[in-house]
Amino acid sequence: MKALVMAGGRGNNMAPFSATRPNPMIPVAGQYVIDHIISLLKGAGVNDVNIVVGHKKEKMRGHLSEASPHGVSVHFTDQGKPEGIGKAILKARDRFSPGENILLVYADTMTTNNIFNVAIQSFGLSNEPTAAICLTESGEKYGNVYLDSGTKITKIIEKPGKKEGLGNYVLAGVFVLPFKFFDFLDKAGADMEKALKTVIKSMSLRAAIWDGDWLDMAYPWDILTANKSIMDTWSFAEVHQSVTIAGSALKGPVRISEGVEIMPGAVMEGPAYIGPGSFIGHNVLIRPYTCIGANSVIGHGAELKNCVIFPGAQVGRSCFIGDSVIGEGVSLGAGVMTINHRIDQSPVRVKINKAAMETGRAKLGAFIGDGAVVGALNSIAAGTVIQAGRIIDHNCSVR
Amino acid sequence: MCGIAGVVALGNISEKLVSSIRSLEYRGYDSCGIAVINGSGKPSIRKNIGSVEEVSERENFLDLHGNVGIAHTRWATHGGVTKPNAHPHVSCDGMFTVVHNGIISNYVSLRERLEKKGHVFVSATDTESIAHLIEDYYSKLKSVEKAFIAALKALDGTYAVALLTSHEPDRIYCARKESPLILGLGVDENYIGSDFNAFIQRTKSAVILDDNEYSIVMSDGYVVKRISNGEMVVKQVLEIMWDSEMAQKGGFPHYMLKEIHEQPQVVRAVMDLEEDRLMEFAEAMAGKARLYLTGVGTTFYVAQFAQYYFSAYAGVTASLASSDEFKYMANVDDDTFVLAASQSGETYDTLSALRHAKAGGAVTGAIVNVMGSSMARAVDHLILQGSGPEICVISTKAALSQMAIMARLALRLGLLNGKLTARDVKAREKELEAVPKVIEKILNEKSGFIHTIAKEQSHIPHWLYLGRGRYYPIAREAALKMKEVAYVHAEGMPSGFLKHGTIALVDDNLNCVVFMPPEDDEELYKLTLSSAEEIRARNGYVLGVMTESKSKSKHLPFSETIILPKAPAFTAPFFEMVAAQLFSYFTATTLKRNVDRPRSLAKSVTVA
Repeated sequence: MKALVMAGGRGNNMAPFSATRPNPMIPVAGQYVIDHIISLLKGAGVNDVNIVVGHKKEKMRGHLSEASPHGVSVHFTDQGKPEGIGKAILKARDRFSPGENILLVYADTMTTNNIFNVAIQSFGLSNEPTAAICLTESGEKYGNVYLDSGTKITKIIEKPGKKEGLGNYVLAGVFVLPFKFFDFLDKAGADMEKALKTVIKSMSLRAAIWDGDWLDMAYPWDILTANKSIMDTWSFAEVHQSVTIAGSALKGPVRISEGVEIMPGAVMEGPAYIGPGSFIGHNVLIRPYTCIGANSVIGHGAELKNCVIFPGAQVGRSCFIGDSVIGEGVSLGAGVMTINHRIDQSPVRVKINKAAMETGRAKLGAFIGDGAVVGALNSIAAGTVIQAGRIIDHNCSVR
Repeated sequence: MCGIAGVVALGNISEKLVSSIRSLEYRGYDSCGIAVINGSGKPSIRKNIGSVEEVSERENFLDLHGNVGIAHTRWATHGGVTKPNAHPHVSCDGMFTVVHNGIISNYVSLRERLEKKGHVFVSATDTESIAHLIEDYYSKLKSVEKAFIAALKALDGTYAVALLTSHEPDRIYCARKESPLILGLGVDENYIGSDFNAFIQRTKSAVILDDNEYSIVMSDGYVVKRISNGEMVVKQVLEIMWDSEMAQKGGFPHYMLKEIHEQPQVVRAVMDLEEDRLMEFAEAMAGKARLYLTGVGTTFYVAQFAQYYFSAYAGVTASLASSDEFKYMANVDDDTFVLAASQSGETYDTLSALRHAKAGGAVTGAIVNVMGSSMARAVDHLILQGSGPEICVISTKAALSQMAIMARLALRLGLLNGKLTARDVKAREKELEAVPKVIEKILNEKSGFIHTIAKEQSHIPHWLYLGRGRYYPIAREAALKMKEVAYVHAEGMPSGFLKHGTIALVDDNLNCVVFMPPEDDEELYKLTLSSAEEIRARNGYVLGVMTESKSKSKHLPFSETIILPKAPAFTAPFFEMVAAQLFSYFTATTLKRNVDRPRSLAKSVTVA
């Protein structure tokens, strides 16, 4: 079966990272989301991956064409002007042929185990169009489904709004659909919701019930959740043969990639990941759920905790980075402190596109966009967003 | 549901055939049989009641030799569980052998017609008429294929059917209408099966027959044609990429969840039980001075639930005994009726309680899911619940079905005692009829919320489940579910009991679940609520399970509230039980438990 992966969306809520990259190009647990998706697809027997790109497409293209490490063939379709998911799906029609069944994947969601396998297997049971469904804490943002007393979907209600105590299974963004679906979509004016209703009415839509983790990568703090849930599946440490560790302490599943250099006194508590070519300075303390991207530099005495650091970042000496996401190539001067809780311990709010969002998290640090530079001795208030490329002078507190 | 299988190969197929039906046993397991053909002789048939393993050993299935064979594993719908009723079935001349899954609705008239023509029937099944019918058409048409089609056209109802005949001993004829049938394509051997579990260990290439198609399967090929006009159909060959476990679970991650979702159907089956059967059962109970209710594990709580319903709706005070304790406390004589419940009908403790009762002269009755089981055969009065096979070791749908049957019996007892009028009974029955739709609504709209709470609270090692009145047995059953499937310590008790000791346990490591009656049951509502308040006053966590009420949930003393659709007093416990099943299930999946086969447990406990 061929896959159609929708990766062209803008993902505005993922500020500041969406400014410089499409959501699937966010790294979690040492891998870009798109790589994670492709390796799961491969595991499910998919060898032909068609990706619809749009927003910051060069980033995705550059990465996949240069790396293409998965042993599957990858093709790109440009969605052009952003006109919604339905239009974008129709753009890829030529990649498929009549009679074929297509695995449709929204690349802004993530699972730790193989949801694609479950969708394809469920499809195999009935040979009918299939939608993966799952349970989530806040179903109001998604397509809510109703089942008969088996796995047949009888009704879908899109974004029903918040109702107390309600919780349907929701569409998980993974479908197996016949080629005919393009016609349905076309007739429905590229309205995905309407086209799915046509499937329910004129054919039959089966549910593949997914009971593993399911993460919608919508907000920057979802990066931390995704990172944690993948690292939680790690059961052993991994240290590449080229690694030298001078008298440092390792605890738990720490994955250290090729060419990493670790100086004396560093302590690493897993689950943690250190990407290839990174440098870990003297007396650095790496605490659980830290994910350091490739070619990063962590200066002397820095403390890192539950954070995702994109590739090529520099963390100066004596920094504390906790519950934060640091963009690609970000430079943090010496002594930068991310403050990761409010003084009254109330949940941290984050301003996303000028709206203050409740994160529900008591501990949350900063989100620093790609290429930003933060001068030495800055303390950054809990929940602060620093836009990509911004330069902040030394010694001024940031809120 | 039944399972059918077939193999055509160059070598001996008996072993392959037996392993095929063993893999289909989840579709039914009360009896089984095989037919094998060797060269030009008549098919050899072996069959009997019991599981595939038992029957295969007893009847020496593996001694049969041949290149072509069909097989069946049965879950009885028409005709009791007896050796003659087990499949395969044969025509009078022994030349046509048939296995079938489905229900032939016009079999009575077919049978009458064929008997008039001199056909002799040996079983009480609908299937046997298919074999005779084919023989009958063959005598006129002199072509197996034509006779097969003519017979299919004469059948009303649903079928997946396979035919083995000595006239053409190198092939299997098969066809489907509504019941599933799949072909498996191997090298020099081909398979048929109710689903691909029948052959997945041998081949991954499959062809799915559609409704109103038939197929002729040989070792080196197959054709698929339309029943209506005999035209060939070109079928797509699918490469199976899935595993058999998943197929048996029908797309659900666990049998437990599948069976929880089957509960609307199961209650519908209870509502379809014959009125005469229920009334006759109630009359037998009402005719005796003493009534005992018994069961063990979940069925003990079903019995306790019945105790409350018999009291409330029939004014009958029944004694309750866990079946393992029965003989130590029950005094039975010939003026005693003992009513037991058992999913499998093989539970050792309950069987021995019934034996004890019979020895004392009591009349016995049972509610059983598995037709032909020891208990079904042993009791004087029987109600078969018709819930379909329950595979998960933890009982959900079978228990809910038994509760619904108990409720219906309570109404009939009430009618006989003059406590209820026919109108009352009708009104309550109407409420029961609404149960399936409401359960569907709960499963669809509440799963997510219950999942979220279960996830958040899964670290809590101790739970108290509280209920008053008829919610007390619900609380105990819910606590048992939690223990069985999540390995989490849970205790069910009457909520009024709490302050007499147990409340001392309330702390950060102990959560409580309170099962609330509907608001219009004022006294019960207030008293249950006050127990919740007592726990909240000690900073305990309380999860409220209730049907919709006028008071806003935020004014209630609950940390979290599962609010179910509005329900009358008669049926509200059913809905709260479904919510509790989901809660245990999601706690267990969060804790990564072996949901369908919890440690140390077996589906039916057949030892002392």
